[in-house]
Amino acid sequence: MPETRGRLSIEPQGDVLVIKGAIDESAGLSALLERAQDRRLVLDLGGVTFINSLGVRDWIRMQAGAQRAGIAIELRKVVEPLIHQLNMIIATRGAARVTSFFAPYACDGCGREDSLLIDAVAHAQGLAKLEPPAMTCAECGAQMEFNDFPERYFSFLSV
Amino acid sequence: MRAPSILIVHPDHKTQRTVQRVLGATGYRIDVADDLGQGVRLLAHLEPVLVVVDGSAMSSPSVKQFFTVAKARGAESCMTLVGAAQLEQMSRILGLGAVTNLLVHPMPVLGEELTITAQKLLRSDLFGAEKYLLWGTKLNATTLTQASQRSQLVGELAEQVRGRGQSARVASMAMLVTDELLSNAVHNAPIDAAGRRYRAELARDGELALDVRHQVALRWGCDGRYLAIEVTDLFGSLDRATILRALVQNDVKTSGSGAGMGIALTYRSCDHLVFNLAPGKRTEVIALIDVRFPHSERVPASSYNVFVERS
Repeated sequence: MPETRGRLSIEPQGDVLVIKGAIDESAGLSALLERAQDRRLVLDLGGVTFINSLGVRDWIRMQAGAQRAGIAIELRKVVEPLIHQLNMIIATRGAARVTSFFAPYACDGCGREDSLLIDAVAHAQGLAKLEPPAMTCAECGAQMEFNDFPERYFSFLSV
Repeated sequence: MRAPSILIVHPDHKTQRTVQRVLGATGYRIDVADDLGQGVRLLAHLEPVLVVVDGSAMSSPSVKQFFTVAKARGAESCMTLVGAAQLEQMSRILGLGAVTNLLVHPMPVLGEELTITAQKLLRSDLFGAEKYLLWGTKLNATTLTQASQRSQLVGELAEQVRGRGQSARVASMAMLVTDELLSNAVHNAPIDAAGRRYRAELARDGELALDVRHQVALRWGCDGRYLAIEVTDLFGSLDRATILRALVQNDVKTSGSGAGMGIALTYRSCDHLVFNLAPGKRTEVIALIDVRFPHSERVPASSYNVFVERS
């Protein structure tokens, strides 16, 4: 059964904590550090819908706590609202390693917009050169265009 | 004594003419200067109600002198136009803390934003998101009577925005903007006679009944160009200097009940943020999210206005 805190749910799946919902004043993220295994904490953030300024502060506290305790945090499936915070407020990045994240794409052919998952490890070389991986439109099969400014959207990777 | 006028400072003659045509429609006489030095010289003979300065002038060492002289000559407000070529000036402009109205657009001038801003300043008719939306746009209205309603309202708004065909990104921006504005209005706006913000340190997740004085109004609507979110409190305790400082805030407060980042995050999560202030009476904040263009075709910076009702 997932644990619920305010609008956030936390569910262990193997060695991964799956986080869903809103990160806000009720999130209490620092408590997640107690669930680290061998000084390693893996968070799956694909279900996070929202983070507000108090959630950002909570997130920064969790990152700082991890650094003090020598816990390595791996972030998987980081959603766009979190990427925006990682880009806007440098302190949110901490020492965490992002291994996959969602990014906005748009199809010129049919106008479809999607948030698509990018494997940051497999595409590390291209991302370092601010080159988003090619993606295909699920609706019309055309090649999709990255739908943001690469120098801004990928700045969180240049920690 | 000369008649009230509008002074435009812009180095490009073609843009000067465009701005002149747009603002000439207000009926005020328009004076034009190519640079700040010429602007200061003109100000000696003018009493402008409004000065409009191109963003490129913001890197000039004489910009502060120009603002001081303009204010001394009675200019109510300074409006700065920032085109795509001047985006690198953004942090400097924000850091000045003197620009009360900043319009950002890929073209040198966006007529509608310029006209709305000028008309609001000149007529002193500030309030209402309707001014930014096309005729006939319906605004949904809700009143927050319990602090705990905030999360429910934010969730409902996001669902309705998605239900009307907007992208997940627009819904996500709308959620953040609405949450921060409501939170500010409930906890930071209330102020007592001694100037104490008596709800600022209350836990944000605590329950709080809001009587008529403390209730917060939320209105939102979309005209296919902008999604507008408007939040109003009845205290009018937010002031211009606080807003200009808050817009450039980059650090989260480490203690206290608030994070001190609400206005900055709101500004960076919308395309245009408008503050309408009636000191001691009400504060209305309107966030506009552009829903027309793909994100990659927009300018990576946002406009803002701080309007203060004349007493």
